[in-house]
Amino acid sequence: METTVRALRRIPFFAGLSDETLARVANTAIRRAFVPDETIIFEGAPCQAAYFIVEGQVRVYRLSLAGREQVLANLGPGRIFNMVPLFQARGVNHATVQALAPVTLYAITSDDLHQLVGRCPDLALALLRDLATRLDHLTNLVEDLSLRTVRGRLARFLLERAEEGQITQRWTQEEVAAHLGTVRDMVGRGLRAFADAGLVRLDRQRIVLLDRKGLEDQVHR
Amino acid sequence: MVTMKDWALPEIDLERCDRCGACVERCPTAAVEMRPEGPAIVRPDDCTYCALCDAVCPQEAITCTYEIVWGET
Repeated sequence: METTVRALRRIPFFAGLSDETLARVANTAIRRAFVPDETIIFEGAPCQAAYFIVEGQVRVYRLSLAGREQVLANLGPGRIFNMVPLFQARGVNHATVQALAPVTLYAITSDDLHQLVGRCPDLALALLRDLATRLDHLTNLVEDLSLRTVRGRLARFLLERAEEGQITQRWTQEEVAAHLGTVRDMVGRGLRAFADAGLVRLDRQRIVLLDRKGLEDQVHR
Repeated sequence: MVTMKDWALPEIDLERCDRCGACVERCPTAAVEMRPEGPAIVRPDDCTYCALCDAVCPQEAITCTYEIVWGET
């Protein structure tokens, strides 16, 4: 159990909890491992647990009726998913989550989490903070989709990925399109337009950003 | 031995490929040819990584990946 406590302590969500609360959480947390491309949970299936990532990367996405993927987030170590439906009456998974790399995580079931929240006020407060952050992220995504053009969203996407510094993922144009809620062809056209305008350079396996201000102007157009 | 140039080529999934030949037809430098086992990049030095093969493949059997970085100023 001590190993579980240490692993949970590294997850920001649990960082501020008392030792007593964390010990209670560790008692209920179930450690699980997944290989790349393995699906962890399916959208629409009954919600059984919340998941806390210790190692690896996952992709969180939903499917439209036409089969188009809308990527909601890529999550790494220290992040959480499937927390929201645990506290809803209908209780189904809101999205499909797939491992992008070997993943290790802890699962806490719905019943256990409800009991913990009832007994541990510091855990309840941490949960509220997490939900507020989540709401903020999704609000920004809605704003992006409704107010920005595809090229604006593409420019913002490129700026955000380059700002991350270390390269954690290589992207196909199809994956970029899914992330932006558009189709591959629009991404290709957007990249070529940016290259023609000198905002980026398309190298072998690299999109090199050249003009920060130019790309920011595209975001706000 | 895999060289850096081998590494930086489009990836062709022969299991998804239906041998339609669209990638061969579309490649602007004739870097890809149709072989008995399926399309192959036979002239890797001629491949400019334009990603047209990725775009034109109806089976999504070809993928060109990118990392996104800042250019040197």
